[in-house]
Amino acid sequence: MTVAAGVGYVLIALGPALSLFASVIAKKPFLILTLLSSTLFWLISLIILAGAWRAFLPVKSTELWPYSILILTSVGFQEGIRIGFWRLFKKMEDMLNAFADRVSKPRLFLTDKMLLALAGGLGHGLAHAVFFCLSLLTPAFGPATFYVDKCPSIPFFLISAIIALGFVIIHTFSMVIAFNGYTEGKRKDQIFVPFAHLIAALITLINLVPGGCNIGLPLLCIMAGTTLYYSWQLVWRRLTEHQTTRSSD
Amino acid sequence: MDDRSTDSDPVTAGESSILDTLGEDVIRIVSPVSLCMLLVVLLVSSVSSTNDLSSSISSLFLSSTTTPTSFSSLNLLLLGSDSTWEEIKSALVTALSFVVVVTLLTFLLVLLFYFRCTNFLRIYMGISSLFVLSFLGGFISLLLISHFKIPIDPFTFAILLFNLSVVGVFAVFMPKFPISMNQGYLVAIGVLTAYWFTMLPEWTTWALLIAMSLYDLAAVLLPIGPLRLLVELAMSRNEEIPALVYEARPVDPQPGDRVRVWRERTDVRIEATENSTNSATVQTVQETRLAVSEEITAPLIEAFPQTGDRHLGTEEEEDGIGLGSSGAIKLGLGDFIFYSVLVGRAAMYDYMTVYACYLAIMAGLGVTLLLLAVYRKALPALPVSIMLGVVFYLLTRVLLEVFVVQCSSNLLMF
Repeated sequence: MTVAAGVGYVLIALGPALSLFASVIAKKPFLILTLLSSTLFWLISLIILAGAWRAFLPVKSTELWPYSILILTSVGFQEGIRIGFWRLFKKMEDMLNAFADRVSKPRLFLTDKMLLALAGGLGHGLAHAVFFCLSLLTPAFGPATFYVDKCPSIPFFLISAIIALGFVIIHTFSMVIAFNGYTEGKRKDQIFVPFAHLIAALITLINLVPGGCNIGLPLLCIMAGTTLYYSWQLVWRRLTEHQTTRSSD
Repeated sequence: MDDRSTDSDPVTAGESSILDTLGEDVIRIVSPVSLCMLLVVLLVSSVSSTNDLSSSISSLFLSSTTTPTSFSSLNLLLLGSDSTWEEIKSALVTALSFVVVVTLLTFLLVLLFYFRCTNFLRIYMGISSLFVLSFLGGFISLLLISHFKIPIDPFTFAILLFNLSVVGVFAVFMPKFPISMNQGYLVAIGVLTAYWFTMLPEWTTWALLIAMSLYDLAAVLLPIGPLRLLVELAMSRNEEIPALVYEARPVDPQPGDRVRVWRERTDVRIEATENSTNSATVQTVQETRLAVSEEITAPLIEAFPQTGDRHLGTEEEEDGIGLGSSGAIKLGLGDFIFYSVLVGRAAMYDYMTVYACYLAIMAGLGVTLLLLAVYRKALPALPVSIMLGVVFYLLTRVLLEVFVVQCSSNLLMF
């Protein structure tokens, strides 16, 4: 429905991501590079998944189980990749520290590491929003709108924009949680991230049921809020701990 | 007393971390490339006549919810209706003839440079940029004016066009012009040429891209390659080749910025003949001319330099990551143009391919810069990015699109 609606949908899906980008990431060039590379990473994982599932698509049935297998395998694969991403991150951290020593500047601070995790997570979220929502928004810039059969009350574009918003938040902050969890070795954090991702993805399965999106969307937003809250608590705790250990030197 | 005790907020404590300045040069070259690509995508999607994107997606939505024949219709859209043997043959012939003409012209350029006809080259480049800005710019402005129905009379249009073109030529070639105008006009020239190239038929564009990247690889790395000869000539004479090159210098010079001092670390024989510490070495670039293919109306010959050569100026020895904080990376305009052509052509199919190709090109650019930091010699910028771009385009079109549309049309996301 015209350019205004199209731009509106884009901003719904990407608004928080854009403000995060403008306020935090655009200031440090290295974070922009981290964001681009993590977006590429997510895209490659998505292509591998699409390649693996290509032979079975399109799923013609309206049963629940093929889609749930799809979701389970995809989420499992992506969470597995996250560990690989963390290993790359550790290597990069070591390289950066070595570089910092060579130019005699201070090593990476805790906030730097968390900023890197944030940029990585934002890259993943951005990739999700771009490929699952933005690339299908082109008709929204035209003169009409579209409704899916299973959800006749909300336009399709609005649903996908809200789902993309939820997932942007989930991806961004679960990367922060995950990196902190792997660095500190805390089981609780490490388990939380795949769990949250899986639950959020399974919530979208509710959308397959007619009229399910009225329940699915709020639940997804609650899940995003939970992830946000958890990561806030984690970062707060980590920073205050760090502060006290530093000032006790 | 440890100065870093309050490192929960290092900025207010006065300590800056390396994260603040690392990668600045790369971003300064990534931004104009991205801007050029964005402008070409906007131009292509607003002015193109056959709007494949929205019509195909809308038809997909309509068919996927009603009949199970969506897969076949999707298949038809994916494979396209133009994959006939004739088109492929003509595309290959066109691309091959293009590469042959470019090779001949580059050798001619090397010859002219060898006989020190630099003034002739400069004047020629000025005239060709004037051509691009006025003719191509005028043509594309007319397209935009007719599409968006902008009210403007011919006289105002002529005056504006003339002014902008002349200022553009000066901005690109006079050394004392403000760098932001120079950069802006170079991006504009890149956008205009890239948009014009996207008007070629599809198979021809892809064949041309692959042929040019192979040519770039050969011309820069082979010992008889014309671009390599040009670079060596320029380095041995300590001269600058007149060329259209984007220099990623900061717009406002910071104090203590010696951006024109470069350290050349390529050939052993070069280092033997000059001081190896802080000698002001040449900013060497390469240049090719591209002849327009005969399929389009006016046989315009334009000169576009293509540099495969990036020099990172640093003030101290730096290996490891190899990103200096005071040097500027230079990228030839030909690279801008071909990247944007690839993305523009991807935009003619769907926005998903645009995003995938954009990421692929950025990854290729990053790999090239990394290789440059490792090998420290002239490197072609096209091959890695274009090959990655083509691969990602094919993968997206064949694999990803089905998957994503299937998931999102059922509102399943992860």
